[in-house]
Amino acid sequence: MTLTLRKYMLAAASVLALAASTPAMAATELTVQRFFGACDAEFGTNTDASKAVGECGIITSLINKFNADNPDVQVSVTTVEWPGYDQLTAQFAAGDPPDIVTIHHSVLGDYQSRGLLMPLDDLLKSVGISPSDFTDASLSGVTKDGQIYGLPIDNWTMLFHINMDLFKKAGLVNADGTPKLPTSVDELMAQAKEFKEKTGKPYFVQNLANEVALYTRNLYTYLFQQDSDFFADPKQVKLNTPEAKKVLEMYKAIYDNDYTTKDMDYAAGINAFLAGEGGVHLNGTWVIGDYNASSETAGTALNAGGYAVYPYPQLFPGKKAQYADGHSWAVSQKDRTPEEQAAIGKFLKFFNDNDFEWSRTGHLPAVKAVLDSEKFKALPHRDTIAAVATLGTPLPSAVQRQFAIQDIIGQEMNAAITGQKEIDAALTDMEARINELLANI
Amino acid sequence: MAEAAIPGSGSAASASVRQAVPDVNAPIWRNALFVAPYLFFFLTLLVVPLFWGVWLSLHKADAFGIGRFVGLDNYFRLFRDKIFLQVIGNTFYFVLLTVPALAVIGLLLALALNRNARTAAALRAVYFASSVLSVTIVTLIWRTVFIGNFGLLATVYGWFGATAPAFLSDPKLAMIGIAIATVWWCIGLPMMLFLSALQQVPREIYEAASLDNASRWGTLWHITLPSIRRTFVLVIIIEIVLQFQLFGQAWLMTKGGPNNASKPIVLYIYEATFIKWDLGLGAAASEILFILIMIAALAQYFISRRKGEEG
Repeated sequence: MTLTLRKYMLAAASVLALAASTPAMAATELTVQRFFGACDAEFGTNTDASKAVGECGIITSLINKFNADNPDVQVSVTTVEWPGYDQLTAQFAAGDPPDIVTIHHSVLGDYQSRGLLMPLDDLLKSVGISPSDFTDASLSGVTKDGQIYGLPIDNWTMLFHINMDLFKKAGLVNADGTPKLPTSVDELMAQAKEFKEKTGKPYFVQNLANEVALYTRNLYTYLFQQDSDFFADPKQVKLNTPEAKKVLEMYKAIYDNDYTTKDMDYAAGINAFLAGEGGVHLNGTWVIGDYNASSETAGTALNAGGYAVYPYPQLFPGKKAQYADGHSWAVSQKDRTPEEQAAIGKFLKFFNDNDFEWSRTGHLPAVKAVLDSEKFKALPHRDTIAAVATLGTPLPSAVQRQFAIQDIIGQEMNAAITGQKEIDAALTDMEARINELLANI
Repeated sequence: MAEAAIPGSGSAASASVRQAVPDVNAPIWRNALFVAPYLFFFLTLLVVPLFWGVWLSLHKADAFGIGRFVGLDNYFRLFRDKIFLQVIGNTFYFVLLTVPALAVIGLLLALALNRNARTAAALRAVYFASSVLSVTIVTLIWRTVFIGNFGLLATVYGWFGATAPAFLSDPKLAMIGIAIATVWWCIGLPMMLFLSALQQVPREIYEAASLDNASRWGTLWHITLPSIRRTFVLVIIIEIVLQFQLFGQAWLMTKGGPNNASKPIVLYIYEATFIKWDLGLGAAASEILFILIMIAALAQYFISRRKGEEG
């Protein structure tokens, strides 16, 4: 009996000793969850972000560098499929969220309203980041109820990515070598027709299959340009309007006249544009780095006549605007030790300090000093897209479930544009479905 | 006398035995310990969630908390929702596309491969091979086949100057595309079940049939098929229950699109719960799915039992 008891006590003592010694020896562990893709084969060991290209390459290299520079902090990364919110919601529900996670400015409100995110004002202050360091667009994107709920890392928008070789063949080039872009819906149709006749290819490369985001962003942009205040009440949308009808009619005409690629998903759209299958690819700021790299590689379709990138042209006589959003690092609400808090602060500070490297993806920097720097302005194509800093317009931040709304708009627009449904019916259903969603939050 | 005494003493003896030895049929409660581990998991992982789900479906709830009691409101919302009615239709359509195909193709494969040749063994392995793949791999393979412009189908059609059918983006074809991938993926199990049934048909019946000069068709129709009828019903039940729960293929190939044309009930539940954060609505839709599967399984069970009795 005594012998057994002594054995147990010895065992318990060893377990205690082990448990006590572990934290002292190991680094503070942080779990980071992000989208932006996986590219470990190429950049898994790279710690020099300036040598990386594209969102995935740059973020992977930056986190590698952070780990290398901070042996006292061990960041373990989980990469999720874009945008990863279903998984994040489940993790929060299970009480096991990551410490730091990428969240769009448009989605922060969903999690913040349920008290799941940590306000960062004090933490940012403790590492010397002031809210006034951020651009106005970034600061307003991460501010909810007067507090900051994410470290903004960028603002992004959709752009016209242009294959100049095909534009030259179509005769759509100004005397100074810049592409001729439309200034009205009629002009867009005329240019797309001319483009198709001269090159035999569609004017637009669009990912219309398996897609909702592109449709939604296009709709928002051209509603803004018509001064349509469709979310005047953040709990009730008005989309069954003449303005929305005009946008859907335009995209339906583009589809019906074969001025766009069809049946392509996101990856196929990128491949098609890189292979020179069309003139204008509608995609975001995040592909500028990759497309520019392709245009500098001999033998590629973009190398033949060059690559240019512009904001969406102003097709309607209203406000000069286009839809924009942004990415941020948010921190989950949890009980943490001072060491863990400090490690998170270090991580956020590191990303804030490296905002220039991140802006090489094509995104607009979140840090004012970087946006104004010569180094940023000297990056390729930043002169032509600089205007998006003032054009970029998000939805009102009080609008919740913006990704669920995006699904509904995308589904209904797809049905209307591809002719499965009348435009009026699609707009009626779109409005009713979104309002049903918002009424039940 | 002696005879009379024996029954008397016998009954007295048996009474004393009854007192000493407990009734063998009496319940021995400690035996419940043997089933306790199973019972524990059955209760916590199946029974409790079942009732918890019903309870949730009567509330306005999201993943972070149960809100107020709303009665049957979530069910009324479901049946007012055109998309929910559409997804029920989609699910039945999918079951109709896949289950007969799986049963018939599985049977044909089993008939063709039910022989003791090396090629047949190799082909059995080949046809079963797809079943071991995960849904992610299966959909990846079929997306590469179906995707417009760059896909395998598009390339093959391109050789003949034709345009391939858009299985991922045409609302009329999306569900068929998913059904093709599913049949390819799931064909192994029905084939194996049919093979095992075929191998249990007694050889003597075939020998008798050949002595009677029965044709091959006659043998198949009058001997083989009746002998494996019960397996046929089993395959149908298993597949109906499985295919009603379509999720992964639709989510990964079409995300339920275009415009909900290929969205099954489980995907609707997923979207309601994790994208709209409307857990109560998702729970209500789950209960409807539960009832539908139960009806289908019970119908099959009663039909098969009646046939069994006739046979």
